[in-house]
Amino acid sequence: MFDEDMIQRWVDEGTINNDQAEKMRADLAEYKKEHRSKKQVIAFSTIGAILIGIGAILFVASNWEKLGDSIKVLLLVGSTIGIHYAGYHFKYENQKYPRLGPALILLSALLFGASLFLIAQIYNINANNSTLVLIWVIGVLPLVYGYMSAPVAGLCSLLFYIWVSLLYFERTELEKLISIWDLYLMSGIAVYFIGILHGLAEKIKYAETPFKFIGLQAALFALFVHTFELGEYFADKIVPAIYAVLGVLFLAVLLSKPLRERLKGFQADASISIIALLMAGITLTTIYLPASEKTYMIIFNVIFLVLLTLLLYAGYNMEDIGIVSTAMFWFILLIFARYFDFFWELLPRSLFFMLGGLVLLVISIVLERKRRELKVQFSGGEQ
Amino acid sequence: MNQKKILYLTVVFWLLIFSGFILFKEYTLRTGTEMILRIEPVDPRDLFRGDYVTLNYEISTLDLEKVQAEDTHFEYNDRIYLALELENGYGMVKKIYKNPPDDELYIKGKVKELIYDWEEDEDGLIAEEPQIKELRVEYGIESYFVPEGKGLEIESQQWTGRERVDVKVVVDKYGKAVIKSLLIDGEELKI
Repeated sequence: MFDEDMIQRWVDEGTINNDQAEKMRADLAEYKKEHRSKKQVIAFSTIGAILIGIGAILFVASNWEKLGDSIKVLLLVGSTIGIHYAGYHFKYENQKYPRLGPALILLSALLFGASLFLIAQIYNINANNSTLVLIWVIGVLPLVYGYMSAPVAGLCSLLFYIWVSLLYFERTELEKLISIWDLYLMSGIAVYFIGILHGLAEKIKYAETPFKFIGLQAALFALFVHTFELGEYFADKIVPAIYAVLGVLFLAVLLSKPLRERLKGFQADASISIIALLMAGITLTTIYLPASEKTYMIIFNVIFLVLLTLLLYAGYNMEDIGIVSTAMFWFILLIFARYFDFFWELLPRSLFFMLGGLVLLVISIVLERKRRELKVQFSGGEQ
Repeated sequence: MNQKKILYLTVVFWLLIFSGFILFKEYTLRTGTEMILRIEPVDPRDLFRGDYVTLNYEISTLDLEKVQAEDTHFEYNDRIYLALELENGYGMVKKIYKNPPDDELYIKGKVKELIYDWEEDEDGLIAEEPQIKELRVEYGIESYFVPEGKGLEIESQQWTGRERVDVKVVVDKYGKAVIKSLLIDGEELKI
């Protein structure tokens, strides 16, 4: 995509004349306006779908007694099918609202879950049952491929984490094998890898970003929690083995040139593979040479900082504002957490808050300015 | 495959999941044996389904000194089949099996906790290999969903001790159980 600077350079070089430059500027402005408006429609319709979906789940949770069970099931299942059809209709048949269709398909995926939980509620199936969430994932996963739905891919990744959490608390034997934070980190890396696999095939490339995004956030969240003093760190022998397998899978894709060239975020992918291999080493060492709580805290702080730096570098190189914003967000959280840890007891509290507030304000101003600069640079002038 | 086919397949797939779920539970409700089980409720909250009452049945804790067992060796997550007999409509414990018993009414459960009993000698050392004393078992009928706020009401009725809370369940020939209703002093709770 060309920008204002390029048009001016072409005019200066004599490649185009002033009239042509004016026409290009007008077309460029029109394109940007159209592009912005498309993005707004997608954002509003997706947020709307999510809000209605959450509303339906809360309706189920309220267990409203004024309506009979059969009527509630018919109402919710009927709405699920009806909205699903409307989504299909707007996406494929009536081309007037092509951006509303995907949002309605996402809404039908949320309503499918609400209907499932309503039926489970009526038959008093045990609370916080992981199998129900798994059925929800299985029920809506085909939409990712059938309708090429990136938002449903995001929903499936989120549900996957809810399933993992519920399963961990349901199967208490898992507590002896792995800590919940390692399980999240491992799952995050695995979901990220699923994103990479999607990036390799042209037909399903649309699902690469949502899987990678949610996987990255989960991995960063788990690593962030590891930066605190969490008590005794433990891992069973299977844990380093799984991390190692994940690391090797990453390497198998990233070291092969033809595969690597199909991916759009090689540097970020490499950063996650480094984390997987590093975690294999750390957990293996923990089994044979366990270290103190403080040592792990320091190690994980260093790892987290290194990962954020790698991601910032990757985001800058790939001109990906999403990765840059993610790295900056977690960087601010890390500074905030460590500030609380180190200064809470050293300074009088009033001074602590004033100083903390000032530090955060300065950091946010610097980071926001940098982020805006990068965004302008990446999008060729568009803010 | 064209998009229309995907639409039809999705709708059929979803309806199969919903109706499969309903049929599975309705089969138990319509063909099973009805019985009442004694409980002690508390009031937590489910992530997606709101308020519910946790049902802790008398049969949730099985004392192996009092209940006959086909085999006394159990491990976490073991499947058990608890034979029951009806006494005035109440399901009373008869025997614990590791395989489904023939010609007996039984409910299927999973061992979720093992409570051990051991004797210590004068030096505080364990004299013999610890024996399993009690089993904590889950039958898949430990939650009863109620309208928002009603859970605490039911719980308080239980704790005041003035009213008895029981659960009417239906158990089919495969040992699968479904809750039918909650009974307060023998009366079905209307919600």
